[in-house]
Amino acid sequence: MAKSLGIFVTNPNVMRHVMGITKAAKAKGSKVKVFFTWTATLLSKDPQFPELCKIADDVAICVDSYINMGFKADDVPEGLKKEKMATQTQHGLIIEDYDCYLSL
Amino acid sequence: MEYKKAILIIRNKDYALDGMRSALGLAVENMYAYAHLLDTQIDKLDDNNLDRLEMLRDMEGEIYSNVKANQETNGFEAMSLEELGEKLREMTVVIPYGII
Amino acid sequence: MKILHVYRSEPDANTKKLVEIVSRDREVDTFKLNVDNPDYAQLVDKIMEADQTISWW
Repeated sequence: MAKSLGIFVTNPNVMRHVMGITKAAKAKGSKVKVFFTWTATLLSKDPQFPELCKIADDVAICVDSYINMGFKADDVPEGLKKEKMATQTQHGLIIEDYDCYLSL
Repeated sequence: MEYKKAILIIRNKDYALDGMRSALGLAVENMYAYAHLLDTQIDKLDDNNLDRLEMLRDMEGEIYSNVKANQETNGFEAMSLEELGEKLREMTVVIPYGII
Repeated sequence: MKILHVYRSEPDANTKKLVEIVSRDREVDTFKLNVDNPDYAQLVDKIMEADQTISWW
């Protein structure tokens, strides 16, 4: 059984890495969760974001950060489940529940 | 049960307050959570962020910096680059935060 | 303990110093993300093999 991987994204310029690593980890049978915070929530508007939501097991964003970036809380990014507009608790879950941790 | 230890390293002023908020978020999740503002000076914290710092300290977390002005203005604990390196060795999770 | 250092950009003096201290007396691997076409499959393998991954700016 492949180890699970949690990815914490804080850099708004790394979408290709998020996609590349998530695809590679899924191809190896890993469970993958991705959480975006602060300026990285801008990536929820990246054209590749809906695809990420399809291939990763769990995608969440920090809603407070998203609002700080000028979006409205009811403007749910395409592909994301509304309940995944969440808090920093999601980051804690990545550290506690996933075998491997990566920040980007 | 051994509690996990996490540290965020912040090198950009625009990422400092969110990084501190993120550290508090981990402390709330029962981790020892720290942040270090490396060569990054920030303004005086407002009451809201001072409350966050207080809460973080109540949970045995801390904000460090190697910038004297941060220590004087906001009471962050002094920690040099070399001391930070040693601190990283104790951590479960090391998070170079945001962008430089 | 095996540590994987991932570099998203060319490390500056501060990063190099931190890496040096963290790596002391430990098994170390590295991966550069700041290339045109990173081998993400290899990176995932390295992450799974390491006890800790630090992804520098």
